[in-house]
Amino acid sequence: MSSKTEQREPEHVQTLGHEEYDPIGTAILIGIYFLILVLLWIFMYFVEFLGNGPTVVGMALTVVGLA
Amino acid sequence: MATSPPTEVTAMRNAYVDQFPDEARVIKAAFWSSFIALAIGGTLGLVQALHRTDVFRFIQSPDYYTVLTAHGVLLAITFTIFFLVGTFTWAVTTSLDRGVVDVRFTWAWYIMMVIGTVLVAIAIFSGFLESAPSVLGSELNADVLFTFYAPLEAHPIFYIGLVLFVVGSWLAGVDWFRTWLAWRSENPDERIPLPTFMVLTTTLFWYICTFGVALSILVFLLPWSLGITESVNPLLTRTLFWYFGHAVVYFWLMPAYMMWYIMLPKFSGGKLFSDPLARVVFVLFLLLSTPLGIHHQYLDPGIAEGYKFIAMTNTMFLLLPSLLTAFTVVASMEHGARQRGGEGYLGWLKALPWRNPIFTGMALAGLMFAAAGFSGMINAGMNINYLVHNTWWVVGHFHLTVGTAVALTFMAASYWFIPQLTGKELWNRSVALGQVLLWFIGMTFMSNAMHRSGLFGMPRRTAEPQYQGFDFEPAVGTVGEINMQVALGGVILTLSLALFLLNMIMTSIGDDSESIPDNTYAGTLSGAEDSPRILDNLKLWTAIAVVLVIIAYTLPLASIIDAGGLFGPGIEGVRLSTWVDPAVIESLGEVIR
Amino acid sequence: MNIHTYEKVWLVAAMVLIVGFIATITYGAVGPGIAMIDDEGGDINPDEINDDERFAEPGVEHVGGNEYEVAVVAQAWSYTPSQIEVPANSEVTFYVTSRDVTHSFSVVGTNVNTMVIPGQVSEMTVKFDEPGEYGILCNEYCGEYHHTMEGKLNVVPEDEFDMTELSVEADDEVESGNETTITANVENGMQEDLETTVSLEIGDETREEAVTVPGDGSEEVAFTVDSADLGEGDHDWTVTVDDYEESGTLSVVTPDGNESADGGDGDA
Ligand code: HEM
Ligand SMILES: [Cu+2]
Ligand SMILES: [Cu+2]
Repeated sequence: MSSKTEQREPEHVQTLGHEEYDPIGTAILIGIYFLILVLLWIFMYFVEFLGNGPTVVGMALTVVGLA
Repeated sequence: MATSPPTEVTAMRNAYVDQFPDEARVIKAAFWSSFIALAIGGTLGLVQALHRTDVFRFIQSPDYYTVLTAHGVLLAITFTIFFLVGTFTWAVTTSLDRGVVDVRFTWAWYIMMVIGTVLVAIAIFSGFLESAPSVLGSELNADVLFTFYAPLEAHPIFYIGLVLFVVGSWLAGVDWFRTWLAWRSENPDERIPLPTFMVLTTTLFWYICTFGVALSILVFLLPWSLGITESVNPLLTRTLFWYFGHAVVYFWLMPAYMMWYIMLPKFSGGKLFSDPLARVVFVLFLLLSTPLGIHHQYLDPGIAEGYKFIAMTNTMFLLLPSLLTAFTVVASMEHGARQRGGEGYLGWLKALPWRNPIFTGMALAGLMFAAAGFSGMINAGMNINYLVHNTWWVVGHFHLTVGTAVALTFMAASYWFIPQLTGKELWNRSVALGQVLLWFIGMTFMSNAMHRSGLFGMPRRTAEPQYQGFDFEPAVGTVGEINMQVALGGVILTLSLALFLLNMIMTSIGDDSESIPDNTYAGTLSGAEDSPRILDNLKLWTAIAVVLVIIAYTLPLASIIDAGGLFGPGIEGVRLSTWVDPAVIESLGEVIR
Repeated sequence: MNIHTYEKVWLVAAMVLIVGFIATITYGAVGPGIAMIDDEGGDINPDEINDDERFAEPGVEHVGGNEYEVAVVAQAWSYTPSQIEVPANSEVTFYVTSRDVTHSFSVVGTNVNTMVIPGQVSEMTVKFDEPGEYGILCNEYCGEYHHTMEGKLNVVPEDEFDMTELSVEADDEVESGNETTITANVENGMQEDLETTVSLEIGDETREEAVTVPGDGSEEVAFTVDSADLGEGDHDWTVTVDDYEESGTLSVVTPDGNESADGGDGDA
């Protein structure tokens, strides 16, 4: 890495390397995001979509073959 | 540092303009082209928001579609791609620490793109004239929206302009590759610097995907609009458009991703969490951006369900690089926050530089993208598309993606780029901070209301969605309340846009400043040396990407051509069955299904 | 490669999410049986729609049992037919094609939604369990009045639905002393036979005749009217079959051509 990207910024109170750093906050935020995605997906598919019938139906076989 | 001009006063300063004054000029021109498109397109967006919701109608409804064509083309194509070519030129030269091989070539492709844009704009805006002048034997007009689905027909110069614009972008890619090759001959053993790696992989999938639209225009649409061929196969040109149309959304997005990877950590006061994962992400985009365009055609007749299912599977797996990006980028921000003294599980969020408009703009853009990720997952789900297809849900979705994740990141980045490119200090940081906040607020109103209205069937692309025979029935709220939110959001967005342009203009006419920060980007916690070298093997990834495209598209295209003819029903065109036995297609099709 | 444990966990979670999404969609296809619009509808030359068996006379057809087919032609900026009526508890297959540019056929507030691409026929089967009234709109831009393109789909209660059509042929005038006939033609669009009664009211007289109209056929009922019974002047008549009615006026005139009646232009 060239020196220009290595400079230590003045407002830093500490320097963390890859080994000392655990992104625990990120893990929490991502975990929350995951939950939101799952819940909203279920809501959208089973309530908004399947509850919005009538729906186009037909031979389900086409997809079964692939799945 | 390569070449700092040795004038006494600026000797200390090391902004981009000091390092690469020639390149800075082209990039600045590209950015201004992009801003002009944003200014015009954004204003038209307000016209649409007010017209549709019947808050204020001052154009005739047939003209609405001229406005909408201009809005779509100017924002989704012109604004985004001009900004992209500027950013990528900056990224290549900065990270390789060398100028382009020949800046005249750089100007050449830029000018070519400008000419293309002007031709397209002339064709579109002629739509407002009572009787447009006749050129090349037909009246100027291009009320075809940015998707130009045949048999809606535009004037030939619309198609010619598009081709010039795209070819210009191809040459830009050549420029970046050339510069990289020149660098490589001087640094044979080094890893490709991350920003250049991002540019090159993005350019490669741009070549792959634009092949489809170039084919569609040059072989089918342009000859047809010139009267050389008589008809087209609408499903074929549509499929070729979407072959390009999904990858283009990643093309817009990649410069924003690049900013999140290499600038956001820096402004957070930290480092990029993982260079190797960033490379993996961009390789995945190269591989998967194109072979899934059929997910825009879930509700098209003439395409077997099996192909749609394959497109969906690819699409779902393309979530992976974006989900990985979310982690890496947030972790890099957290790294910065902790280095700045942030503590606790979530308390570090307070230690982020929220007063910095560049940081805040990009962070809010990223947050919006997380929300867009959700509506995108719905769009990707094959059969749930019956619920949302071509409704305002989709418009709400892409105003979060291209309209915010991309546009807001670009605006925030401009607060950093324009001082770098001009050597002038940003006119007003508080206005800039207010501007990015306003965009976020305005888009929250507009996009949320659009999503909601899509769920009760509010159609997109419709001047007056007020019908004679029936009313919409929202499960929650009312149509009136939703319309007010769209209109309000539109007004706030336009205000935000005006503040952005004001800041850009005032900065550009301001005085030179000594206190421009150095032109740097973020370092990495885990660097390229931690990643296998095979990641940099661009030939390999390109080859796989091409194979995936061939797998995903051969059969659907073959059956479309077989059913509708290469040139549509009017001409007994070259039937595909003359070189591929239809029985073969049929039986392969059976296997797929 | 040096990947942090949290990031590895996230990678796995992301894969679970992706597979979960694909599984949900597959469930939708297998469980509730949702099918995508596909190439089953076949292709058609847009210039030859008028010669096509299905689309030459678009509209609702009874296939048998509770199955119906609806052929719709979309063109800038209307649907033919623009009003569609089907019974509840039916299984309806729509066939939609376009005469000109790309449109959509979207039933508002439902998951019945397809693109309509010239050269292609969109085929979709829908079960309508409950009666209801739906709007139909075009959600793909199709030219400068695209926003005016709409239609209506009425799902009526089963017992209110039929496919009977009544047309009547009758003279406007008859010379006093002569006879004339009023002929009712009853068409039955359903596949099953229709047993019903045709009645004619004229003057103070009501006449009835029972008919059996064969499935997918028609039957004529002729009523002979003797002008002598009516007397000179205008006489309103009404033919009724189930809920259908057609009326008119018959003028009985003097043989020498001097009309005794003054008012009444014949159409009721
Ligand atoms: C001032 C901010 C903006 C406002 C008020 C606005 C408003 C709108 C509205 C109301 C529509 C829907 C038109 C319809 O469905 O009938 C629309 C469509 C669209 N907007 Fe925006 N928009 C804004 C900014 C942007 C930006 C920044 C982008 C992209 C960078 C963008 C890209 C698009 C695209 C691609 C369409 C679809 C065009 C089509 O359907 O053909 N918009 N916009
Ligand atoms: Cu897409
Ligand atoms: Cu339309």
